[in-house]
Amino acid sequence: MPEVAVRELTMAEAVREALAEEMRRDPRVFIMGEDVAEAGTPFKVLSGMVEEFGKSRVIDTPISEPGFTGIAVGAAMTGMRPVVDIMFGDFLTLVMDQMVNQAAKVHYMSGGAWKVPMVLRTTLGGGRRSAAQHSQSLHAWMSHVPGLKVVLPSTPYDAKGLMKTAIRDDNPVVFFEDKMMFKVKGPVPVEDYAIPFGVADVKREGEDITIVATSSMVPVALGAAKMLEEIGISAEVVDPRTTWPLDEKTLIESAKKTSRAIVVDEGYERYGVTAEIASVIATGAFYDLDAPVKRIGAMHVPVPFSPPLEDATIPTEQLLFETAKKMCKR
Amino acid sequence: MAHSIVMPALEMAQESGKLIAWRKKEGETIAKGEPLLEVETDKAVVEVESPADGILAGVKAHEGDVIPVGQTIAWIVQPGEKPPAESEDMATGRRMDAKAAAPAAAAPAKPSAPSGPSATARISPKARRLAKEHGIDLAHVRGSGGDGEILAEDILALVNASASQGGVPGAAKTAQAEGRATETLTQVARLMAERTTQSWTTAPHFFVTRDADATALGAAREKFGPAIERERGVRLSHTDLLIAAVAHALEKHPRVNASWRGSGIHLNPEVNVGVAMAVDDGVVTAVIPAANRKSLGEIAVLRRDLAERARAGKLRPADIAGATFTISNLGMYQVDAFTAIIVPPQAAILAVGSISDRVVAVNGQPAVRPMMSLTLSSDHRVLDGARAALFLNDLVASIVEPKTLLQ
Repeated sequence: MPEVAVRELTMAEAVREALAEEMRRDPRVFIMGEDVAEAGTPFKVLSGMVEEFGKSRVIDTPISEPGFTGIAVGAAMTGMRPVVDIMFGDFLTLVMDQMVNQAAKVHYMSGGAWKVPMVLRTTLGGGRRSAAQHSQSLHAWMSHVPGLKVVLPSTPYDAKGLMKTAIRDDNPVVFFEDKMMFKVKGPVPVEDYAIPFGVADVKREGEDITIVATSSMVPVALGAAKMLEEIGISAEVVDPRTTWPLDEKTLIESAKKTSRAIVVDEGYERYGVTAEIASVIATGAFYDLDAPVKRIGAMHVPVPFSPPLEDATIPTEQLLFETAKKMCKR
Repeated sequence: MAHSIVMPALEMAQESGKLIAWRKKEGETIAKGEPLLEVETDKAVVEVESPADGILAGVKAHEGDVIPVGQTIAWIVQPGEKPPAESEDMATGRRMDAKAAAPAAAAPAKPSAPSGPSATARISPKARRLAKEHGIDLAHVRGSGGDGEILAEDILALVNASASQGGVPGAAKTAQAEGRATETLTQVARLMAERTTQSWTTAPHFFVTRDADATALGAAREKFGPAIERERGVRLSHTDLLIAAVAHALEKHPRVNASWRGSGIHLNPEVNVGVAMAVDDGVVTAVIPAANRKSLGEIAVLRRDLAERARAGKLRPADIAGATFTISNLGMYQVDAFTAIIVPPQAAILAVGSISDRVVAVNGQPAVRPMMSLTLSSDHRVLDGARAALFLNDLVASIVEPKTLLQ
């Protein structure tokens, strides 16, 4: 990161800045979704956008996810670069046909004649006391489908750089933002930059154990790493940043270096992102592993509304710390 | 339910045990706790008790066989019951049911042992690869994992050790088993060779010596010996007094009563004083558990019992396990002073010379006094010179003024 631009933005500001810069640069880019214009989304990510770009480029829709996502697929096929806003990741269930059967397949089935350069922005993460239908992290579903790229930023810097790449990409990209991290601040350079997909970022270097963490779990992993440091365990925290394309090389190299790996992700643990990443590591680093690869994800239950119960279902620093400690025999 | 009888692991470094004798024949009835077999292990011949009531069955080891620890050698079954069929698989040593080993492994004997026998433990992929690359036979590797798994660091420790000793231990032993060397060494002698080499090459030893005036020690023996002999039927020895003195000093110096673990220093909660005893083919260390809480009389009775059973080769597993400090006394051989090799993972050992009349300065005048030399060997990873000296100071003070021991 260049040193000249010592400036902090929140995650929401970083996403907004990426969108605004791309909309200024490219007139084909437009935003569509529920409460995106005057409201600027419930999380205030898009505040001020409609004022700058007008209602024809920041379009409020009715509550009709399948409809406006379908419009976006068609718009993308015919030359626009839409950015669709799905307020809660839980509502991805409503747009599965548009994304999975249309957006993801059109390029392939048309023999390359059509492209679908759209971005679907949505949220993940619990902890907001929003109950079972507004708290899920369903990025594994999207990562499962060939033809979709899936982005999971964990810092304002990553969010801006990855959003730029997402908008410029000619393929459908699903961009997940943790709804609890919008107010988290971090350094973001003033000048233009983009972060390529499929490049993991080592958020912290370590020697004894690798913690692979995504999105909301990156700060949890860094907190656990700090606790581990106090008992003499040096943890490396690796953030894949995109689940597809996946930077297998960095994950495997890190696990080879430390001989131990834990994968933590806020999606459901069963059949989740952690399973795929753990498998990549187990296969690629098998002869350098000193312990089975461990996975930590959300409990296999609907996310509870009750705060103590919700907290019990989501991976915590303490759980990660205890798991890592045990794996390192302390 | 059938109970498996496995070759017990009584010491961390034990790889195999020699079956000396079956006390019961196949088909005979046995009660839980009755002596079942005699095994020559690391340090002594020990009796192993039956873990259950039942009938001895499925005996697959003969007297004189050397058997890897953890391997099933027989079963205790109920009338009409047959030994489990999978006993064959267990004998290959690839897998072991930890529960099956538990009764024979004498759990109370070594509460501080980090893991059970690992001849059958699981091996991490990395450890397996490293072992292959370095030509180490995994059957000889002790696992340090939470469940006894063999981990990469266990292999690397052997590789590092071999770098300083000029040979890979596991590999060397394999070759040895095929050659002649093992034929000429008893288990006790071979283990003594291995353990002392391991200690001397891995623990950085240093030595601190003090001479002590043993006048008061002799007086204490004369004063309290007759009463103890009358009440308990044993003669109070200098060693007994020393055990008591050492135990009290250890209480005040927990660092001397500590163990070196790979990751750091472990302060042992109990003061268990080991006493090195010469036997036919080497040395056995018998343990006075919680010596700091025992009276002189109790120590004398226990030490005498241990010495007799050591000479007869009848020590039980609990008698030789769990020492947190060792005393080696060569006074009876007219040795003035010597240095001893630490018994891992203990932090120190006290070498005691004979009590003999020497000319010393007392109040500026030459005087003849019964003097003894005490040399503490310490592991510098746990102790330093000052700590060792302070421990010796307190020890010598209680020898010169033994009143405190006798309360």
